[in-house]
Amino acid sequence: MRRSLPAALVVVVGLILLLDFVLINPTVAGLADALLELIVLLAAAAAVAGGVALVLRHWTDVVERRRDPPGSLVLLGGFGLMLLAGLYPGSGGAGGPAVRWLVAALLAPLVAALVGMLFVFLLVATRRGLVLRPRQTTVMLVAALAAIVLLLPISGGAGTWLASAAGWANEVPIGGVFRGLLIGVAIVTAVHAARVLVAIDGADD
Amino acid sequence: MRLQGGGMAWLALLLVLAVGVIVDARETSDALQLANPDPIRSAQVRETFARLPAQALVLVAMDPDLGTYAEIRPTLRAALDDLLRGGASLAFVSVTAEGRAIAAAELERLRDLGTADEVLLDLGFVSGAEAGMVRLVGGALPVGASGPVADAIGAGGGGIGAFQMVLLVGGIDIGPRSWVEQVGTRLPALPMVAIAPTFMQPELAPYLRTGQLAGLLATVRDGATYSQAVAADRFVLLSDEPRGDRPPSSLAVLLGMLIAVGVLGRQLLGSLPGLEGPVPAAPVEEEQS
Repeated sequence: MRRSLPAALVVVVGLILLLDFVLINPTVAGLADALLELIVLLAAAAAVAGGVALVLRHWTDVVERRRDPPGSLVLLGGFGLMLLAGLYPGSGGAGGPAVRWLVAALLAPLVAALVGMLFVFLLVATRRGLVLRPRQTTVMLVAALAAIVLLLPISGGAGTWLASAAGWANEVPIGGVFRGLLIGVAIVTAVHAARVLVAIDGADD
Repeated sequence: MRLQGGGMAWLALLLVLAVGVIVDARETSDALQLANPDPIRSAQVRETFARLPAQALVLVAMDPDLGTYAEIRPTLRAALDDLLRGGASLAFVSVTAEGRAIAAAELERLRDLGTADEVLLDLGFVSGAEAGMVRLVGGALPVGASGPVADAIGAGGGGIGAFQMVLLVGGIDIGPRSWVEQVGTRLPALPMVAIAPTFMQPELAPYLRTGQLAGLLATVRDGATYSQAVAADRFVLLSDEPRGDRPPSSLAVLLGMLIAVGVLGRQLLGSLPGLEGPVPAAPVEEEQS
């Protein structure tokens, strides 16, 4: 019974939403709207609960001096600062000037810099990869090199040829592999979902 | 403290890239070209915009993430310029928290540029991700929304169906694919144009082929082509905005790519049998030492 209740809920909710998608029926539409509203509320509640859990976890870490207390302090400070900027009386919320300044002057450059460091992290990873899995890493490096060369921003005939080759590479090998992966993932997900729904496996609640 | 070896190399790399950024190659050399020589993607987007009726209502679904936003920002700003100049009204909505923060900043920028409040509307943040999108189809106007754009949306039914086009701005969390799946299937006649970071290109290109996306700018080069086309007409910048906020310096991009080619090539050569290379000892041995 424990296994079947969530599965039954998923089936019922899914069927109602699917029916609403293919049928024009006010009753079904009303039911689907109510369910969607409930899902939206649940998502919002989950986000708030996640924030509270994060704060509690790091507060505990600071108080009990576990894991990384300085890191936890920074996180709590940032959390508090953003809440303060967005919730003080008269603030415009996420569109308030203080929040916009924090996002534009601190958050955006910090996150962009972290993403910009991906190339450095990738290099470190490939150094290790060449030791641990030389063949696979070599293939990856060759592909990365080829992609970079194809995208070199040069003009003239060579640039046009490189750009058209890059377009072909995007459309054919990369696009083909990516679509194959997506279709494969979709099939596996559908099969797994069906197995869970008919209680063959999964559902380890 | 004196920098040695790797430290010097990173410092040199930073200096080279800084020189590349400062010396803007767009004005110094015809040998470099960031814009894609094949302008088809840019042309598709411009044609879609040109087909919009006068005073069109455009929904800007702002869900970029802070990490990849720098890549698509020049393209998005050019697109917003393009739409506003064509007489469109823009309503911004976000289903991600980061997208909401960026949308607030872009709205403020447009207001600072002198864009009239009569053609802008902030629909705010909608929680629930995909479920939120589906709810937007039936009703997108938040309680208390007012002004000409809100009135026009209300007159059109209050949902996404009131818009003449959706501009999808994607990121890591929620991308144009979700909008196409959740909203495009419910409103198939509504044109959708996507601006997304390069990593989403293979995922989104099939939707362009099927017509579910009317336009797609998902590479730096296509974005540069489009931005140049818009800039050729006229481009509006804030007085304190860096000129380089338009497509990035092609010299800096070229230098960065050449350095990447050099470093990757060196690693590859070093991994070949019989060649000395930079490959380190196995991690286990490192830990023992």
